[in-house]
Amino acid sequence: MDYLYSYLILSEIYVLLGLSTNLLVGVVGIFSVSQAAVFGVGAYIVGDFLLSGTLSFLPAVAVAAVACIALNVLITLPSLRVAGDYFVVTSFGIQLLASATFTNWTWGTGGANGLPGVPPPDLFGMQIASTRGILAVSTVAAVLGCLAFWLILRAPFGRLLKAIREDELAVAAAGKGVLRAKVSAAALAGAFAGVAGGVYATYLSFIDPTSFDLDASILLLTMVVVGGARTLWGSVLGPFLLLALPQLLTLIAIPTTYAATMQQLVYGALLIAFALFRPQGLLGERL
Amino acid sequence: MTDYLRVEAVNHSFGGLQALNDCAFTIPAGRITCLVGPNGAGKTTIFNVITGFLRPDTGEVRFRGRVLTGLSPQTIVHAGVARSFQNLRLFLDLTALDNVMVALPGGFGEEPLGALFRPFHAARTDRRRREAARERLAHVGLADRAGERVRNMSYGEQKLLTIARLLATGAELLLLDEPASGLAAGALDQVMALLRRLQDEGKTLLVVEHNTRVVQQIADHVLFLHQGHLMAEGTPAAIIADPALAEIYFGGAL
Repeated sequence: MDYLYSYLILSEIYVLLGLSTNLLVGVVGIFSVSQAAVFGVGAYIVGDFLLSGTLSFLPAVAVAAVACIALNVLITLPSLRVAGDYFVVTSFGIQLLASATFTNWTWGTGGANGLPGVPPPDLFGMQIASTRGILAVSTVAAVLGCLAFWLILRAPFGRLLKAIREDELAVAAAGKGVLRAKVSAAALAGAFAGVAGGVYATYLSFIDPTSFDLDASILLLTMVVVGGARTLWGSVLGPFLLLALPQLLTLIAIPTTYAATMQQLVYGALLIAFALFRPQGLLGERL
Repeated sequence: MTDYLRVEAVNHSFGGLQALNDCAFTIPAGRITCLVGPNGAGKTTIFNVITGFLRPDTGEVRFRGRVLTGLSPQTIVHAGVARSFQNLRLFLDLTALDNVMVALPGGFGEEPLGALFRPFHAARTDRRRREAARERLAHVGLADRAGERVRNMSYGEQKLLTIARLLATGAELLLLDEPASGLAAGALDQVMALLRRLQDEGKTLLVVEHNTRVVQQIADHVLFLHQGHLMAEGTPAAIIADPALAEIYFGGAL
């Protein structure tokens, strides 16, 4: 039962991250490979505040969300000048920079040793220590995230974002502000990632740089590609499916020493296979 | 009296190529002006300058006395000048209706806060705008294609759709880059009739066009551009009858 709860909580956290990545990569077409870095900043901020006891859970998550909004807007800004494929390179560099900071800035992040002992979330003065309680928190966060994503997609804002993905010049010629819309989308994506980081840090109670590295960013992309770009259900299905994979792999008799490598291999193979043979993913539209 | 649109001494070079060379002309309100000239004469470049997609090296563009040069394309559309593209630039994965709706001004919920916190208000205003967009589609004869993805529409329909999208901006001066090129006879007549109807409804049109038959049928006035400079202007008949211009146009050595 505990395993099931753990799977659900992590999947829901990744649903928020999947929504964040899908909004940026799928809907607006800003091909970011640094969403895990933003996720990490959210996690470390909440972890630091709770460890030092300066803020309780909700205010800490709010601060993390605001910081991640600012950060994501900042790192997405190059996409306004650097088009398409070139932005991937920029974004790749940002991810490496973030990973290096997480590993080396010992004062803020605990460096490679990470931050152990992050207290569980507290709401209105009550500590939520049980896994079931945390599941409730992550479920509320994921449902709110899904609702926001759904509202965005069906609003005129969603239409504008989709148009921007197809042709920025035509959007400008239609008299609409491309810059403002892109910045708004980046801000939203940052907020999702920041909240996900906060729930993640308090649930695991231990965070270290390996959760927020390039592999994690690519996992997020794989979730969007496999689940499906530009749809709510695609963003939900991807995380639940890919996080079940390690468990499925244990059903096959492979030595545990290979399991982690095997997992990366399967993620990579899935990414390539879907990109080649089913670019719309399971429940999405063509990326 | 101030001119409706005045292009004044515009120069622009791409590297060593002087694309616009002291380009100057005016166009009057309520008329269809055709911009003709051989390939590379600078027709699309002057479109880009007028609509803010390209900042000229020197010179300026005034619309109703207001300087447009230096303004963003977005602001210029709001000032009343909008353009279409030679290569259409439609949103292929969106429906015809959504293409038009993107260009309609002033939608509530086009930014995230409105979309998230006042979703019902956003949906209500969007419904009203959807009706307005349907009217634009009906105007160009695409009423029954509203729900179709642009990808699945014929080239002729796509060309009409670019005009519907242009109309949706609400601009009064419309710059059309080759609206009739590549069309079969039937679709061609449809586009020409539409352009004349737009003129009757009070729009002013500046049209880049290669087809002399189209120019003869729709133009009130013709501007002949050559090597980035206004070489001649006049009635369609006068321009077409000028042997020197025909020589340039059809590739004679000059």
